Amino acid sequence: MSEKKLAYYPGCPSATTAIEQDMSTKAVFEKLGIELSEMEDWNCCGAAEAEDPILVYALNARNLAIAEKDGLDIVTPCSICYYNLARTDKALREDEGLRAEMKDIDSSLEYKGTIKPKHILDVLVNEIGMDELSGKVEKKVNVKVAPYYGCYIGRPSETAFDDPDDPDLMDRLIELIGGENVQFSSMKTKCCGGPLMMTREDIAFEMARKVLESAKNAGADCIALACPLCGMMLDAKQPDIEKKLDIKVEMPVVYISQLLGLALGIAPGKLGLNKNVVSTKEILGKVI
Amino acid sequence: MIKTWELDANFRNEIMNEPGGEHLSACFQCSTCTIGCPIAEIVPSYNPRKIIQMSLLGMREDVLSNPDLWICAICQTCTARCPQDVRISDLLAAIRRIAEKEEEAGKLKVDSVRPLFEKAFLHQLEKYGRLFDMGLAMEYYKGKEGGSFIKGQLAMMKDFKDFGMRMFKKGKMGPKAMFPEKVKKKEEIEKIFEKVGEKEK
Repeated sequence: MSEKKLAYYPGCPSATTAIEQDMSTKAVFEKLGIELSEMEDWNCCGAAEAEDPILVYALNARNLAIAEKDGLDIVTPCSICYYNLARTDKALREDEGLRAEMKDIDSSLEYKGTIKPKHILDVLVNEIGMDELSGKVEKKVNVKVAPYYGCYIGRPSETAFDDPDDPDLMDRLIELIGGENVQFSSMKTKCCGGPLMMTREDIAFEMARKVLESAKNAGADCIALACPLCGMMLDAKQPDIEKKLDIKVEMPVVYISQLLGLALGIAPGKLGLNKNVVSTKEILGKVI
Repeated sequence: MIKTWELDANFRNEIMNEPGGEHLSACFQCSTCTIGCPIAEIVPSYNPRKIIQMSLLGMREDVLSNPDLWICAICQTCTARCPQDVRISDLLAAIRRIAEKEEEAGKLKVDSVRPLFEKAFLHQLEKYGRLFDMGLAMEYYKGKEGGSFIKGQLAMMKDFKDFGMRMFKKGKMGPKAMFPEKVKKKEEIEKIFEKVGEKEK
């Protein structure tokens, strides 16, 4: 990768529910010698709750414009933030009228389209690249992993950076660090239920149960993922799901940045591995 | 039974004029959206194909009052697979916004708490520029309990007692999480909500 500096868009859960993803992302990029410069005064992307496209474009135009002023591409660890940034970037590049409409709302929303928003998984595999990463691997992370991609990595097609039905960017990283991908392809891209968590918990829990139990039945030591909402649903809510549905899963759920960090020889504490709700101790025992 | 004299021939235009609803008329009813839908797997009545057909026919009232409108998880599977590029995920959001406007105008009762949640979310965003989980939960539960702050707090504690404790123990809901993180240039965020709100009217 030629760029050694990226604008970092952490997203709202980075300070709270997904703090381990934020910690591990920063630690991994530091180790790789790429500076993540947190965007000045960034705002929320609107998540899945802003349903009006114009509002989504306005909120994300402001963030895109902030990074554009510094001439830096944006990297974000959150799949939903990525989706909102990327669809706004696309819409504004293609539609001059929309660009004018944004500028008309406020001058801070003036975006010319000279930078690109990216997801960390995309940057790690497609930009930094497997060659460079493999040169920096210090340890073997000998775990069986269910790679879980969720929704916005492979779809919709205009913003996707991996296959919609059988994505493999995480699979490749897991192989690189000495892990084994379990048979999980039918579940890889199935929604975790996260967006329904607060309004239809019954449906959301059932969706999450399918993902968790599939990973367990496939013999996984853990699920790896790359989205804070999936992390919230599958890890933080896992005890609630077990209680409500009267099942036992006890499936560790880690961010792919945490697994990669272990392989790069970063200390578990620096990767926030004590912050995941389901204990990650057994995973740590498999790092050689 | 469909009574033709009760159909609203303009409903399809109403949807197609809403951002996200533009591609409605391209649907040829193949049902790919519904076959791959993770919600349809769990909720037997859920059928996006049927919602589209009813919209095209002009069954305005039936569509807008359908509680299934509110259980889409916006996972984009339907959108990704649709051979006609109907963009079903965005389309359903457009129909939901029409339903919300009808409710605001007192013409319809939406059978879901989702509008309350989304409004509480956006309200936090308008105030702080970032998501404040605590504020969101408090506002949402107050709304769910008919506007009573006390009842809302009690219901929230009941639902989130274990979760909150778990997050606290992991250092994810410490004292810092009790206060919102705020965007400094608040006026820029306020402008976004003010101007986009005007456009919607």
